[in-house]
Amino acid sequence: MKDVAHAIEDAERAGFDLALIDESLRLTHEERARQHDQALALVLEFDRIRSERNAKLESSSAATL
Amino acid sequence: MQSLSHLLQRLSDSGVDFVVIGGFAGVLHGSALVTRDLDICAVLSLENVERLRETLKDLHPSHRMTPQPLSFLHVPKPGENVRNLYLKTDWGIIDIISTVTGLGDFERVKSQAESFQIAGRTCRLISIEDLIQAKEALGRDKDLLAARELKAIAAKRSK
Repeated sequence: MKDVAHAIEDAERAGFDLALIDESLRLTHEERARQHDQALALVLEFDRIRSERNAKLESSSAATL
Repeated sequence: MQSLSHLLQRLSDSGVDFVVIGGFAGVLHGSALVTRDLDICAVLSLENVERLRETLKDLHPSHRMTPQPLSFLHVPKPGENVRNLYLKTDWGIIDIISTVTGLGDFERVKSQAESFQIAGRTCRLISIEDLIQAKEALGRDKDLLAARELKAIAAKRSK
């Protein structure tokens, strides 16, 4: 039990949201995989927006020079 | 479309015996961390490489670690041995490795693996204890952090 409590406290100290883990553990493997797909899609969309914005900034600063 | 779960289903239909490892295995165990690739451990026999080629052929698979983009449909040549494959496809990145750091080969990983269902298919998943061991053996900051979360998941599951 001491090890169990230590592992949980350690993860909390590392900044993990234990409520998110509890929520995930209530799901099936398939539901976890689907939920992850949605989160990854969002991350990739942010990547796309960031790289578009960077390209615009680069082209406008090149035009200014 | 990017979907690691669809990629996993596709691989499951390939006839290649594999175990899901890495960050996506963490997700399947309950991790809240997001990973960008699907890692699997498999025997990369000549036969399995051809099965993978056939399975992934319409997803434009290419090698992602080579200086020039090379199609997996042409490289490696038939009969040429490979130890690992690092591929990108239309559905996402897939890394196929034959040995897991800190654990050993496919048979070793499979011996402790558990089964799970996805879209009516049965797949193998590295045990959480093995995944923790592998992450700690890799020793990078991100792996050590992931191991701390996995230990909490293992602890919560044992309660």
